[in-house]
Amino acid sequence: MSNLDDTEFLEPATLAEALRFMADESTRAVPLAGGTDLMVQWEAGVRPPPSRVLNLKSLPELAELRAEGDTLIIGAGITHAALRRSPLVRKHAPALADAAATVGGAQIQALGTIGGSIGNASPAGDMAPSLLVANARAEVASIHGSRTIPLTQFLVGYRKLDLAADELIIRFHLDALPAEYCEGWRKLGPRAAQAISKVMGSYRGKQEGGKVASFAVALGSVAPTAIRLREVEQWVVGRKLNADTLREAEERASAEVKPIADIRSTAEYRQWVSGRLVRGFLEHLASAG
Amino acid sequence: MSATVSSTYRNVGKGLPRRDGEEKVRGLAAYADDIPVPDGWHGWVVRSPVSRGRLKKLNFDPAFDWSRVCVVTPEDIPGENVVDMVGRDMPFIAHDWIQFKGEPIALVAAPTRALAREAASHITPEIEEQPAILTLREVVDQFQRDPKSLHEMVAQTISKGSVEQGFAEADVVVEGEYWSGHQEQLYIEPQGMVAFPEPDGGIFIQGSLQCPYYVAPELIVTLNLPLEKIRVKQTAVGGGFGGKEDFPTLIAGYCALLAMKCGKPVKIIFDRNQDILYTTKRHPSWVRHRTGLKRDGTITAMKVDFLLDGGAYTTLSPVVLYRGILHSTLGYKCPHVYVDGHVYRTNTFPNGAFRGFGAPQAIWALESHMDRCAHKLSMAPEAFRLHNALRLGDTTATGQTIAEAMGTPTVLENTLAHSQFVEKQKRCSRGDPKADCWYGIGLSFFAHGAGFTGDGESRLKAKAALDLEILHDGEPGINIRISSTEMGQGTFTIMPQIAADGLAIPLDRVCCPHPDTKYVPDSGPTVASRTTMIVGSTVFDAARKLKTQLEAYASETFFGGAPTELNNGLFKNTYTSVSLPFERVAKQLIAEKGPQRVYHQFQLPASLKWDQKTFKGDSYPSYSWGCNVAEVEVNPLTLEIKVLRITSTWDIGRVINPVLAKGQVEGGLTQALGYAVMEKMGIKNGVFDANRMQTYVVPTSMDVPEMDIHFVEYPYTHTALGAKGVGEVSMDGLAPSVANAVEAATGVRLTEIPITPEKLWEKLRETASSAI
Repeated sequence: MSNLDDTEFLEPATLAEALRFMADESTRAVPLAGGTDLMVQWEAGVRPPPSRVLNLKSLPELAELRAEGDTLIIGAGITHAALRRSPLVRKHAPALADAAATVGGAQIQALGTIGGSIGNASPAGDMAPSLLVANARAEVASIHGSRTIPLTQFLVGYRKLDLAADELIIRFHLDALPAEYCEGWRKLGPRAAQAISKVMGSYRGKQEGGKVASFAVALGSVAPTAIRLREVEQWVVGRKLNADTLREAEERASAEVKPIADIRSTAEYRQWVSGRLVRGFLEHLASAG
Repeated sequence: MSATVSSTYRNVGKGLPRRDGEEKVRGLAAYADDIPVPDGWHGWVVRSPVSRGRLKKLNFDPAFDWSRVCVVTPEDIPGENVVDMVGRDMPFIAHDWIQFKGEPIALVAAPTRALAREAASHITPEIEEQPAILTLREVVDQFQRDPKSLHEMVAQTISKGSVEQGFAEADVVVEGEYWSGHQEQLYIEPQGMVAFPEPDGGIFIQGSLQCPYYVAPELIVTLNLPLEKIRVKQTAVGGGFGGKEDFPTLIAGYCALLAMKCGKPVKIIFDRNQDILYTTKRHPSWVRHRTGLKRDGTITAMKVDFLLDGGAYTTLSPVVLYRGILHSTLGYKCPHVYVDGHVYRTNTFPNGAFRGFGAPQAIWALESHMDRCAHKLSMAPEAFRLHNALRLGDTTATGQTIAEAMGTPTVLENTLAHSQFVEKQKRCSRGDPKADCWYGIGLSFFAHGAGFTGDGESRLKAKAALDLEILHDGEPGINIRISSTEMGQGTFTIMPQIAADGLAIPLDRVCCPHPDTKYVPDSGPTVASRTTMIVGSTVFDAARKLKTQLEAYASETFFGGAPTELNNGLFKNTYTSVSLPFERVAKQLIAEKGPQRVYHQFQLPASLKWDQKTFKGDSYPSYSWGCNVAEVEVNPLTLEIKVLRITSTWDIGRVINPVLAKGQVEGGLTQALGYAVMEKMGIKNGVFDANRMQTYVVPTSMDVPEMDIHFVEYPYTHTALGAKGVGEVSMDGLAPSVANAVEAATGVRLTEIPITPEKLWEKLRETASSAI
């Protein structure tokens, strides 16, 4: 049973105020948006309740969701429920909308945010692969200003981000899905809903003249962070999607991941099924193109 | 084909809504944590950090202020430091040997939960650690090399004919080994209990439990109190599934010991993490079958080794083993049977009661193996079963004759027809590398012994009482006094249905309050699918008795001695057209003579013969029967397994409430689905690795397949009502039907549940399947 009686709740009205809290060590706090990861961790004793919590819920700066030219901008405070329902996200990043629809259950989706999901830095976070195939950049800020980093660099390691102690995640910038491209999302969990992924992933690709013109694929729960499978991506471009290509792509993808065994699955199955997911994505691309 | 019982009852047989439904939906029901405990303290259990060893001493941090808390160690126990269950090997608080990680080594109470928890962290044991045995794998390895090196808790055999002769007569012998793991009950409401010290030195225990008359008598020797000074009252219970059968004695004991020492009421409510880590689970099992067969499909011999992982202490393991071995060959005729059952100790949390109680493990192995036998003979699985199924006049492994019409083989025939099993078999993919989707269909056929094993009911002597008194609404009516609890299965709904029909009075004149040992006789525990069958029939007979008494009183008082009958709530005498409502007569009776109580005691038919030593005779008063057909889809790309549809037929005797009966089946099948394909619990560092709902994965509504559920009614002929059990049979047999369907889909058989994509992948890789 978590005891939050001794925890101080800071309620900034603006982002600037929130960043001022974060700037000073004496007021620095654990940022909390939906709390769907943090509350569970405190409750289960994974980590003790912090002395201060910074409520991000009501910051208007984190609630943006708009398309700007070829870029889709998603505020860190946008909830999974909002993502799955947004026509804008459905149009410009459909694999992200699909991923949001498989996070937790309805209650988690209503509270949990994309910034929180990435901020939690779990390799099993369902939002990362769809962001990765859309070449997402994370924008972070402190009182000293903001900076924008490719998500591939932002996700440093297991539970590690390129985020300074005084910084907050503000928003994500995604390449909107270009015309004639398609996307897909697939999640393997231990049950049909409310599941933490064994392996999951997204792809974005394009076929032209019977050959792969572009292919981006990212998997989660197979390495310390969600990763892009660069080698298989490069190998498959320019090839016809025939049986031989599919088989070799599957093998290459499988070789490119380094999963571990945990309570949800075995390392061997994860390794094998990673290749199978990539094969499935290429089959999807072939049938869509 | 199906037997239907014509019913003249007004309430029995009707799908009446749950009596306790509204208060639960509205959040008004008071669970253990809702009981007001003014001036109460919170209890906490200090636990062993090692799996096995000798406890040297406990160190109490001198820097901590111990005056603010109450600590109980073995020296503080007023009676014996022993949990007085079937075995007496478990201490309440470890005092010498530690047998599992998490074993209680001290108890603490304090005005707040946080302080109790903090105090507990200032108690550190000195333990000389010893090697431990932690898993069933280790047990089975040792069993095959040197069984004497294992700590055996209990053993039992069943013997019929001569298996040597049976194998000599066989054309083919088929062998198989089957494994199952721990399963957590995962009731919605975690375990919780409060103990109030009474002014007379007694103790009043309230909480979430299935068996008030287990808790009270089992605490006598520990608390050193006579039974009448240990009062146990059941609160609203958010599910039990056997998890609140044996365990509540422990948590009640912790609260009582603390309350008796500190003089305050003491409450312990487990959070989910504690509840999963430190309560009983279903016994992991290893079952080896060796079966002799004639070419025509006739079974000539069945030899079974049946091993259970008991955990660290005996608890109810002997009884679980008995039910397990009795179900390990049940359902089929065979002249030569030998079953060798053992429970061995591992240094893990003691395993205990769970819906099915050994039968799901036995049936998982048996019904997987029957498919394997059919396959070996190139017979269709349904034809093999129909050829060997027990029928009227046949005898079981213990020599019990099927002496009355039962659902065998009707449930099987009925399910085959409803599921179109034979036609759909042709569609099975059997691992076809060219298929985009693998389809499979599988079968299981089984029985569940209704009520206690053997003559257990004769020794128990279940009693029920009915109180005719003024009810809460100021009008006369009946309070049913039984120790059977409502834990979601419908006791509080069906008992009034039964009592109202027994008395022939309106349903709203009958109440069934929560049991309180101060007011109710011992009707036995709420376990073994016995509540409707045994206690229900006892309530019915008590109601008939009371009806006769009321009729006599009405005749004498209102009708000048003329024969009088109570029907539809009205007393009528044979000679006049005058009728008097039940309320009028009852009110006058109560005013004149005070509230009236009638008792009735259950009796097994004298014809039932059972020898507990040799395991020969009538192993159960009767049997419920079930048949599942599971249809599955396996994705060849990922090996994800989806159970699409379950078609099933059940013989549970007379169906008292068809809506609740169907609810029991749907719930049982869902729990069985988790057991079959999802629920996985290993041992890591001596404790359960899945210790939260995040890691212990059970089905959600999104996983539940379409269910097509049918009942055929073959009433038990030795009670007036004819009900048999429904609670457990639905949990018993799904796993093998899914394994059989997965084999039909993929071409490979899995012999360990849960059946997961990971295991399927390993198996397909072993067989060098070209499909993956």
